[in-house]
Amino acid sequence: MPEAIRIDNLGKTYRGEQEALRNFSLTVEQGEVFGFLGPNGAGKTTTIKILLGLLDASYGSVEIFGQDPRQPATRRQLGYLPEIANYYEFMNVVELLRFYGNLSGLTRAALETRIDQVLGLVGLEEFRRRSLRRFSKGMLQRTGIAQALLHDPKLLILDEPMTGLDPLGRRQLREIIMDLRQQGKTVFFSSHELSETEVVCDRFGILRDGELCWCGKPGEVVGDGEVNLERIFLRMVNQPALAPKNRQAAV
Amino acid sequence: MLSIRKIWAVARVSLLELLRRRDVYVALILAVVLVVPLSTVNFFGVEGIVRHLREVSLLLIWLFSVVIAITTAARQIPGELQRRTILPLLARPIRRSEVVLGKYVGSALAASAALLLFYLCYVLLTGLLSEPQAETTRMQATLMHMDMTMGQAILMHLAFVWLLTAMTMAGSLILTVSANLTCCALVAVGMLLFGEQLPKIADQAVFPASWIVRLAHYVLPHFEFYDSRVRLIHEWGAYDWGVLAIVLLYTLLYIAFLMIFSTLVFNRKRL
Repeated sequence: MPEAIRIDNLGKTYRGEQEALRNFSLTVEQGEVFGFLGPNGAGKTTTIKILLGLLDASYGSVEIFGQDPRQPATRRQLGYLPEIANYYEFMNVVELLRFYGNLSGLTRAALETRIDQVLGLVGLEEFRRRSLRRFSKGMLQRTGIAQALLHDPKLLILDEPMTGLDPLGRRQLREIIMDLRQQGKTVFFSSHELSETEVVCDRFGILRDGELCWCGKPGEVVGDGEVNLERIFLRMVNQPALAPKNRQAAV
Repeated sequence: MLSIRKIWAVARVSLLELLRRRDVYVALILAVVLVVPLSTVNFFGVEGIVRHLREVSLLLIWLFSVVIAITTAARQIPGELQRRTILPLLARPIRRSEVVLGKYVGSALAASAALLLFYLCYVLLTGLLSEPQAETTRMQATLMHMDMTMGQAILMHLAFVWLLTAMTMAGSLILTVSANLTCCALVAVGMLLFGEQLPKIADQAVFPASWIVRLAHYVLPHFEFYDSRVRLIHEWGAYDWGVLAIVLLYTLLYIAFLMIFSTLVFNRKRL
């Protein structure tokens, strides 16, 4: 069985700019929930764009279920939630989902059923006819989750999915991810929310300056016995972890 | 293999956007601008005004069609890029060529609908304002204006709009919105006015202007081919169908070239 994601020696250099990704390799198994962490500008969004076939790598290769993501047929198995939830604000959520469903090749009957299901899942049933222009940030993020799940993809790529969600929304998303894992789906998501990530992920990777500097499981011991994800993250991105006294002050 | 369903889905979004953002009202306002002067001409009691009236109203229709085709097509793809709606769109199993074609079809349909509305106003008003011949009712006189020549003129004008839309869409991928609007308007109006005279102008000009004019003659679309105003005004009769077929073939080939160019540029666009 091929891996859900296979990244081999990936590199990306934007024209006239520094390297965004350097010799980056990673595999994500099917059914795994993988947390992709890293500070701003580490190359997370670039990696996600390459995984989606939206951007070409400068060197190296990427495979999704053993196929090239630049092929439209490969993207039939992908669901994507962008970092910034921007959708057609002149539409309502049902029209938007119908549009994306048509592009994903769903039949009309299947599409209407799936729309009802995903709207129920993200708690937007009562806002079916409201224009997206009048949606709050959190509601747009839920819309994004609904469109990502619409065609029942085998792999979900979520870019900062917790952004804009209130505690209830975060809990719902956490439950959705847990549910997807139970269904055998693969979830790959980038996040800054370390505590949320720790709860739902089977494995993490930490990206720094375009290089994967750590990859492991929650609770896995690193170096001098550290198991706390926040401390591991701060150590890996070369920032000193806050002392307990300072942490209390920061809170 | 391109999917018609996906192209149509993208086109429908473009049409819905134009409708919901009330851009369609611009066409209606322009139609009113067209109708009001026409309907007041007889108020001044000017004799034999219909021919002059046709000339003015057809000129307005041509100007409005240029404005609507350019402004509709110029912001389709830049709008997607600016709003970042392009990311969830291209993450779907869709080819970039299908997005380009869908956007083109949506813009071309919107501009065509506006053009047909203008011609409807034109036919109704020029028909109603003309004096009916003996033994014909005013309605029959109106319908007489919708003859073969008029049908061909509308078809030629539609072809003009489709080509201008394709050119604007290609321009939108390499220029900023404002630069594209300016360039396309200049090319469209310039070719309509001087397209036929370009070889003569090139002969009379000195180097390097002569080369530039000659290059424009060979490279830019010859929009003057589509202008049937004189034929309509002076009632010269219908085109030979062979001529019409050649012009339509020229249009299709040019649109195909521009769509391929747009797709190639869009494929290389950094998102």
